[in-house]
Amino acid sequence: MNGLRRYLSAVWQVFRKDIQVEVRGRQGLPVMLVFALLVVFLFNFALQLSPGLQAGLTAGLLWVSLAFASTLGLNRSVSLEGENNALDGLLLAPVDRSAIFFGKTLSNLVFTLLVALVLLPVFSLFYDLNLLRPGLFLVVLLGQGAYTSLGTLLAALSIQTRTRDVLLPVLLYPLALPVLIAAVEASRGILAGTPLGDLRSWLFLLAACNVLFLAAGLMFFETILEE
Amino acid sequence: MKNKIDSPASARIEVRGLSKRYHYQPVLDGLDLTVNGGELCVLVGANGAGKTTLLRIVASLVRPDAGEVFAGGYTLAHGGPYRRQIGYLGHQSLFYSDLNAVENLTHYARLYHLADSADRVTQSIQLVGLSAHRTKPVRTYSRGMQQRLAIARSLLHDPEVLLLDEPYTGLDPEAARFLDERLRQLRAPNRAILIAAHRPQGLLSIASHVAWLREGRIAQHLPVTRLGEDPALSAYLKETA
Repeated sequence: MNGLRRYLSAVWQVFRKDIQVEVRGRQGLPVMLVFALLVVFLFNFALQLSPGLQAGLTAGLLWVSLAFASTLGLNRSVSLEGENNALDGLLLAPVDRSAIFFGKTLSNLVFTLLVALVLLPVFSLFYDLNLLRPGLFLVVLLGQGAYTSLGTLLAALSIQTRTRDVLLPVLLYPLALPVLIAAVEASRGILAGTPLGDLRSWLFLLAACNVLFLAAGLMFFETILEE
Repeated sequence: MKNKIDSPASARIEVRGLSKRYHYQPVLDGLDLTVNGGELCVLVGANGAGKTTLLRIVASLVRPDAGEVFAGGYTLAHGGPYRRQIGYLGHQSLFYSDLNAVENLTHYARLYHLADSADRVTQSIQLVGLSAHRTKPVRTYSRGMQQRLAIARSLLHDPEVLLLDEPYTGLDPEAARFLDERLRQLRAPNRAILIAAHRPQGLLSIASHVAWLREGRIAQHLPVTRLGEDPALSAYLKETA
């Protein structure tokens, strides 16, 4: 087996294991989903939004829900590896350790995209606005890609600390601010009917964040994990 | 740099000038140790002497502050190929509680790219006497059962270097006898075994050497047949019996 195939096989195995653990334990995705839906319900009743304001605010509320749900998922991803020191098992494997980063980023991304798939129709229903648009799917993919890759990197940083549950959001939210701003602005534009071409600066920023955080993971993940 | 060191005694552990500090407190201080292929060395020392730190460094789980580590013909810097030679059993099982024995071992077998992973997993589970429990989630296992499965995991890829940290913890007498027997079988010229043990008396019948870790260095390293030459080490072993 050549080097690249071995590497991709390790990425796949880490991803596969995370999915398998979730299917068996069902401790991550249901919590993320319930939390995200609760945010939708609470804001709907608390803000009593008028139709004129909805397009502007819905984008913000969507990303608040997705960001909070993703953070819950990332925390679960960290605690999973902390349990029985399972992370050591991954670190002992004869694979490039950045493969662990890519595998875990992929599984975290899949979980958040599944939450988004449920959330978008619910948002459409509650805020009387069609969120099922291809442009918005692209923004969610790019935004969640950047958010989860940064989150996975920071989760690795927090895994060996006693305050990891608190540390992750404290580190993640400020650093993810450019991603969230770009995602909200792009989503707002799409919901207001702006052509995708006019939103390219926000989309490029999201794409650049993806590249930047994935490259950071490739370069620093091993160093971050070593005691 | 990426090639295996060409040496007739490649299946060995060699540590030179190893140092490690935690919070400015030295744990290992210029430690030297060699365990050759065919040897089973028991690492003894008081609590906090640095036995676990040494094993975790050799297992590439902890980065040393200084020094060199060679194992199975590779250095730590080789990364993946180095880790392929290492079998490590730590204080915890390293398993995912919601997965069963087969799923956990298959996960590791795939990470090690073992060609015959399904057969190896089945044989490993059979060997540690857990066939009847193979489809139960690991969270339902007792401490001893988890330890047996962890032993199976550490041997799954047939490593040249075996690092066991207090392997008898949680084992009942029958499982402890099984481990004794397995370690006897595993002692071979193409394998070096290093076992950290706080109470090493039970291991002396199967060990070839004893290394005494004190104040961050190997204070004594003797074949078990010559333990009587060092009264201080003999006294320590009696104390911990």
